[in-house]
Amino acid sequence: MKSALVLALVGLPLAAQQGARGRIEGRVPAPAVAPVDSIIRVAAAAGLPTEPLVQKALEGGAKKVDAARIVAAVADQAGELAAARALLRRTAPEQPISPAELIAVTNALVRGLAPERVEQIATALPGEPTGPAVHAVADMVGHGFDEDSSVALIVAAARSGVRGLRLLDVATAAVQEVQRGLTRDSALAKVNGELPNVPLPPQPPRATVARARRPAHALPPVVARGRDDRSQ
Amino acid sequence: MMDPRVQQVLDGELPVTALPPELADEVARLEGAAALLAVAPAADARLEARVMAAIRRRAPGPVLRVLQWLSAPRSVTLRFRPVWSLAVVAVFAAVALFPADEPGPVLAADEGVAQFVARFPGARSVDVAGSFNDWRAGEVHLRDDDHDGVWRAAVVLPAGEHEYMFIVDGERWVADPLAGRYVADGFGRENSLIFVRPLAP
Repeated sequence: MKSALVLALVGLPLAAQQGARGRIEGRVPAPAVAPVDSIIRVAAAAGLPTEPLVQKALEGGAKKVDAARIVAAVADQAGELAAARALLRRTAPEQPISPAELIAVTNALVRGLAPERVEQIATALPGEPTGPAVHAVADMVGHGFDEDSSVALIVAAARSGVRGLRLLDVATAAVQEVQRGLTRDSALAKVNGELPNVPLPPQPPRATVARARRPAHALPPVVARGRDDRSQ
Repeated sequence: MMDPRVQQVLDGELPVTALPPELADEVARLEGAAALLAVAPAADARLEARVMAAIRRRAPGPVLRVLQWLSAPRSVTLRFRPVWSLAVVAVFAAVALFPADEPGPVLAADEGVAQFVARFPGARSVDVAGSFNDWRAGEVHLRDDDHDGVWRAAVVLPAGEHEYMFIVDGERWVADPLAGRYVADGFGRENSLIFVRPLAP
């Protein structure tokens, strides 16, 4: 029984990486295949999600980047994922980390959000997925709000019952108030005073939905669910 | 009109010698014609045989009669009132010009619709590629139907976070100027970020 369990645990990442190699072969320069495959193998063994690494390699191949830069970018991505996981584990050791949350936090850090802010958000919202919250703060910082005020508003929104991707709407509301002419302090005060009421994002028009098509090579939903399963 | 004396001669009431010569000639022509009509035509044996064969031939069955009816050429007369004809034409034109909304794709609970809009005046083609389709260029095309330089596409995507870029004219990779969220791509540039939400029912 124990040996079957061990085989299953070992076999899962092996299957994942074999599938990954098949996906990158022919799509990235040949000299990059083996090194990228090795990085994915190590990441899988370490329990990191491998899909972002496959995507980074495919992206480099599509952009006609040379092999050395592709390998470097994939290695950097693996390092960023590991750093984000270490940060989340340090902040909330008992909380499981979904691939979606790990990718979201990694991207927020790459966007320039300070690790201390991620820790601050994770600590302030125990048991909550931090992915949408950190992106909401990164959105605000990207529009000139200071980090402390941004974190304070998003944490206040989460505590008032705003959840998941709706936290992004809180950031959007603050940015839009500034675009309408308010100072940033006034915008923060206005949005904070109206919580948990946040304007809904516009829905795509019916005609647009009717015209929408799936890409021929769309990723299976299970991949996307894994990326965002706890942030809705 | 026939002279009454000719009629009297033909009826035997007057001798032909009592007529002037021109009337006597007319009587002679009429009597000749009467003699020709009085002679019965000779019976044609072949014609009689054909007629009798046709009479004796069995009548076709119902199936054959239906087939004959269906295959026989027939004339059909259509009568239109111009007002109704114009109404029918108007309906067809309306359907052609203003088609009803397509039913559209059936979305799963974890899928949403991403709208990509970008202004690239003079571009020959604009595609979008990203982590949602393994970065395959040339697969998802934006369209500029009215040639105003604004390119659009609506794409069904799994809900969640996706990185993407536009590809202009098949070779130039460009971040979405309207995305508002960007992340370094590790190759010296920035990808755009989009968060797709499940479509509200």
